[in-house]
Amino acid sequence: MTVQIPSKSTQILDPTFMARLDQLDVMSRKLLAGKMKGERRSKRRGQSVEFADYRNYVVGDDLRFIDWNIYARLDRLFLKLFLEEEDLSLYILLDVSKSCDFGDPAKAFYMKQVAAALAYIGLVNYNRVHVSAMADGIVAETGALRGRRRVSQMIDFVDKLKPGGPSHLADACKKFALQHRQKGVCVVLSDFFDKGGYENGLRYVAGGKYDLFCVQTLAPQEIDPDLQGDLKLRDIEDDDLAEVSITQPLIKQYKANLNAYCLSLKDYVTRRGGTYLFTSTAVPFDTLVLNYLRERGLLG
Amino acid sequence: MNWLPHFDNWGRGLAAGVIVIPALLILYFLKLRRKEMPVSSTFLWKKAIQDLQVNAPFQKLRRNLLLLLQLLLLVALILALSRPVANYRPGAGKQTVILIDRSASMNAKDIDGRSRLDEAKRRAKELVDSMKRGATAMVIAFDDNAETIQSFTSDTAALRAAIDRVQGTDRKSRLKLAYQLAEAQLNFDPAQLRSNVEPADIRLYSDGRVLDGNELSLRGHLVFEKIGTDTAKNIAIIALSARRNYERPTQVQVFARLANYGPDPAEAPVQLSVDGDVIDVGGTRVRNTFLLPDRWTRDQRDAWDKEHPDKPAIDSVEFQLDLTSAAIIKVEQMNKEGDVLEADDVAQVVVPPPKSLAVLLVTPGNFFLEKAINSLGLNKPDTLSPTGVAGYEATKPTQYDVIIFDRYKPTYIPPAGNFIFFLDGARAGLPEMRVKIARGADGNPVVLQDVGVLDWKRDHPILKAMSLTKLYVAEAVKLDVPPEDEVLVDGLKGPLIVMDHTGKSTNMVAAFDVLQSNWPLKVTFPIFLQNALQYLAVGGDMDVRQSLEPGATPTIPRGDLQKIGSPMAIRLKGPAGTTMVNVPVSGDFVLPALNHVGLYSTEPPVPQFERMAVNLLDPGESDTLPAERAPGDMSATIEDVKTTRARFELWWWIVAVAALPLLMIEWWVYTRRVHL
Repeated sequence: MTVQIPSKSTQILDPTFMARLDQLDVMSRKLLAGKMKGERRSKRRGQSVEFADYRNYVVGDDLRFIDWNIYARLDRLFLKLFLEEEDLSLYILLDVSKSCDFGDPAKAFYMKQVAAALAYIGLVNYNRVHVSAMADGIVAETGALRGRRRVSQMIDFVDKLKPGGPSHLADACKKFALQHRQKGVCVVLSDFFDKGGYENGLRYVAGGKYDLFCVQTLAPQEIDPDLQGDLKLRDIEDDDLAEVSITQPLIKQYKANLNAYCLSLKDYVTRRGGTYLFTSTAVPFDTLVLNYLRERGLLG
Repeated sequence: MNWLPHFDNWGRGLAAGVIVIPALLILYFLKLRRKEMPVSSTFLWKKAIQDLQVNAPFQKLRRNLLLLLQLLLLVALILALSRPVANYRPGAGKQTVILIDRSASMNAKDIDGRSRLDEAKRRAKELVDSMKRGATAMVIAFDDNAETIQSFTSDTAALRAAIDRVQGTDRKSRLKLAYQLAEAQLNFDPAQLRSNVEPADIRLYSDGRVLDGNELSLRGHLVFEKIGTDTAKNIAIIALSARRNYERPTQVQVFARLANYGPDPAEAPVQLSVDGDVIDVGGTRVRNTFLLPDRWTRDQRDAWDKEHPDKPAIDSVEFQLDLTSAAIIKVEQMNKEGDVLEADDVAQVVVPPPKSLAVLLVTPGNFFLEKAINSLGLNKPDTLSPTGVAGYEATKPTQYDVIIFDRYKPTYIPPAGNFIFFLDGARAGLPEMRVKIARGADGNPVVLQDVGVLDWKRDHPILKAMSLTKLYVAEAVKLDVPPEDEVLVDGLKGPLIVMDHTGKSTNMVAAFDVLQSNWPLKVTFPIFLQNALQYLAVGGDMDVRQSLEPGATPTIPRGDLQKIGSPMAIRLKGPAGTTMVNVPVSGDFVLPALNHVGLYSTEPPVPQFERMAVNLLDPGESDTLPAERAPGDMSATIEDVKTTRARFELWWWIVAVAALPLLMIEWWVYTRRVHL
């Protein structure tokens, strides 16, 4: 009997699922300037088959783009401008802090799956894909990847990420924003459980050059805690202790606080032109990618 | 008793309090050992707790509230553990002798309609309930006898059952035997013989009316549980006598004396009934009496007499009636309103029919004797000559109650019977018997001349109420009287009339011929003859048969049993029911104790014991005023419980009303509480 040892890629993404992902592309609500020639319209005028505009000829312009028919009719030189097609930068900020190593299924694995799927879609569609792992800063990065050939490299990178260290969204986002000046779609995958607050971090990536997608992923045990008795709750990131006696009002209050927290995050992101998506690790990963992300306009 | 409850186990409660309350406080100072549980982040939890604490009212108090509730709960439980008791009376000691009076006076129903005996039993059972672990007790019931109902045991169920078994009697109460029994039981216990041991508790449940209060001494700590109320009303018949008139045996005189043991003067009509029918005596059905309380002093009585000259105290009644047949005379006092003791309201006597005797006079001829016998109204007054064809020796008759031999020494004499001999001076002779005729050297009887009477037995039934000083005998023989024989009349020179018992015969020997005396002319002669015949025929029971006192054990002579064919068993019917009593094969037969007031009868009827009346007729028992002091021990503790409320254990009330609700509140607070 032969044992089928699954490849690394199938742990995170299995081939049939990848085949379904092939039909998707990363969408951006903004027309963003790319760095290289690509398959996506750019703000820039350039060389493509799609007409954009005319402008007056000035000395030095390429004579090949002069519209001779207009010159014949109006006796003036006009230059035809075409839309440039450039690539799209897809930034995936994956939270690998210790707090993500929680829940069943674990948030970290789930987020890695989502990140890999998004990165895969980006690579397949010749987008410039950056995958950055963040904890108390950017702890690992792929650099710019492009093309289907990089899929294995990307999956390998994502698979090797191990959750650890405290969350520090502000440091991580600041560093990320400084390093990646190219405009693009930025997907932040995190639980956003940061004692310093998410606002300081998200302000670097919200608005401006990035088309922001925040996917808040929580475990079912966080959404509906199944705890009883007198407990000493230990924060797995910083070993902070909270002594609680679980009672119905306390659970109720916790849920209300969690709900308020999520709503305020959504509000923050939405007001800055971003898109917020809440998910539980109990939601099947493929449903999230194929349905929810498409509905929210990240994928198309 | 006061409103504060008594704590039966206060020591245990105190100990528990000293241990448990500090323990609870220490527990509160200790930190809760919590289970560690990893979470992704604590900040939402901390926020939730803060929010709750900020919003919760009395949040500081909450934690202390729980402590306070737990403290209250503990206090309630400790209180319950110390076993508080309302209506407390001191409980049983390590060793207790329970003496329960079951005599007649304890049947008085003056404790809320219940009898004193019931109250005594209730209190005794209460005492048993209060017995501590390892304590022992015994139960003795007494009247004029004492009986160990239950020997020393720590088994409270057995003790309660024993107390329940105590039944009242109508007997008198004597404590001496009960005390002796208690002491004897205590002496069995080696622990009691040590010098430093605490003497046993002796609990006396009684009204204290005992006959032998002055003769008592007791080792041990006596507690007198005084039972009975001072205000109980009781009118009692304390004496009853009935007798037939000597001259007119059909006439019966009944005399009754009453006493009032209540607190106030009272009228008590008395009625007489014969065989259950109330009869008119002297035109009225009832005789009125007016009784001053027995407890009054002489001064009080004098004062009453002065203030109420129209209402003198009458404490006795007398009835005269004619009775030609056997009857039961019942005297009953009719003032029964509030009367607490029934047994002394009625007294009855059994009147046998006047006896008609069969008497044979064997005489050569005696005018006076024949005249006297024929005038006595006898059943069969026959006269026979000693000899001849139809004479005594020829016919040898046996059917007579009494045979009088006048100046004749019979050669034949029935083997059993009653005989009277009148001796004939120098020619006198007697058949074989203990009394002998003194004979001189020549073998002839010693004859005494001119004999007067020296003395006579005035209390003998034959000579009762008789004066013989005027009796003069011209000639008498001298009798040799053995010491066991009874001299009825002593002459100046020798015995004149002697009563002799030889074998189965009773002989009365007169040492003289009546014709040689002035006796036939005296009024005492026929009376003497009547009494003598009655006495010889029926024994000393010439009067109406007197009643028996409760607890009496009448002895039936073998002779009476033989008359009815010596039955194997006799059925004894009485107020308490019917019992079969086996008759022993030989000897006299003693009936079982007749414990209750009323009428007893035997079946088959034993002569003279066909019907027996048992009456209380005892001032001591009828006096329902409880004694002030414990009988036999002036220093004894007296427990006089005015209230009949029972000892009441409060511990389960504390548990039900305080501890359980506190526990529920505490649980509720605990489930609602929130704290770090």
